[in-house]
Amino acid sequence: MEMKSFIAVGIVLAIAIGVTAVFFASSDPDGLESTALFVQGGKTLTGPSPEDGDPEAVGSGTFAYAAPMPDYALGEELGSLGAIIAIIVGVLIAFALAFGAGKVVAASKQ
Amino acid sequence: MHIPDAFIPIGQAAVYWIIALIFVALSLRWARKELAEEKIPLVAVLAAGIFAIQAFNLPVGMGTSGHLVGGALAAIVLGSPYAAVFILTLVLIIQGVFFGDGGITTMGVNIINMGVIGGFVGYYGFTTLKSIARNAYVSAGIAAWFACFIPALAASVEMFVAGTFPLVPGLLAMGTYHAAIGIIEGAITAGAVYLIYHARPDLMPLESKSGVAA
Repeated sequence: MEMKSFIAVGIVLAIAIGVTAVFFASSDPDGLESTALFVQGGKTLTGPSPEDGDPEAVGSGTFAYAAPMPDYALGEELGSLGAIIAIIVGVLIAFALAFGAGKVVAASKQ
Repeated sequence: MHIPDAFIPIGQAAVYWIIALIFVALSLRWARKELAEEKIPLVAVLAAGIFAIQAFNLPVGMGTSGHLVGGALAAIVLGSPYAAVFILTLVLIIQGVFFGDGGITTMGVNIINMGVIGGFVGYYGFTTLKSIARNAYVSAGIAAWFACFIPALAASVEMFVAGTFPLVPGLLAMGTYHAAIGIIEGAITAGAVYLIYHARPDLMPLESKSGVAA
């Protein structure tokens, strides 16, 4: 496969995975969040997770940062469309940042 | 497995950041020495793909979901654990800064767990298994399972040190959930190694060392 088509296929595949995730990803907490609920007594080890559980309640850290696109979305009113835009923006930033970082490192070789 | 800011006190988070930065520096040295310019598009595609697939949480039962981390995948495809550190660091920066997935103060510990531990376990697990099993895809899948499971245990110990999780229940739950999530990690890693190898065999170092079992 040519490099240009390899890149094109790669990016299209990444966007396809990300967009599919918007509609089909599980909303259950991830392993770390589930563990946080478990150690707080919010769920049993193998039981279901509560709808309104707050995994981060167990944390005591004080630092807070507000990301521009929290939870891979652009807010309630934009819904799935916002999530699709967010994921495509993320895929393109990831590609560009890694490509740029690679080029900078390569340039420093001389 | 993305640790949020709230889970680790700032002093400890700083220590993890320092350790992470040492490995990030080593990964930059690896890139300068070992990363051929023609592989840069592969690195960029892997970063984009790992970012996308990390957003895809699959249900694993027990009220829990999980997604590919990708440390083993990056390390196996590019033939070095430092490739995982390099790529996962970039992905974690984007996730933390733009999407609030994983904290800022805890980005260091997340780089250690998913990039460093995931990358080293994935890479050396893969090379060891491949010399025994002689099948690159099975070896990649099993190594990737460990590259999900071991960082999860590391995270439980970090959570214990931080005073966030009690030790034994934390290890039990993190281990149980990530044993299940690791099956996703293993299957997708094996599949992706297969696809990339068949699309661009020249970009993958599988053949030269001890032979991909095709």
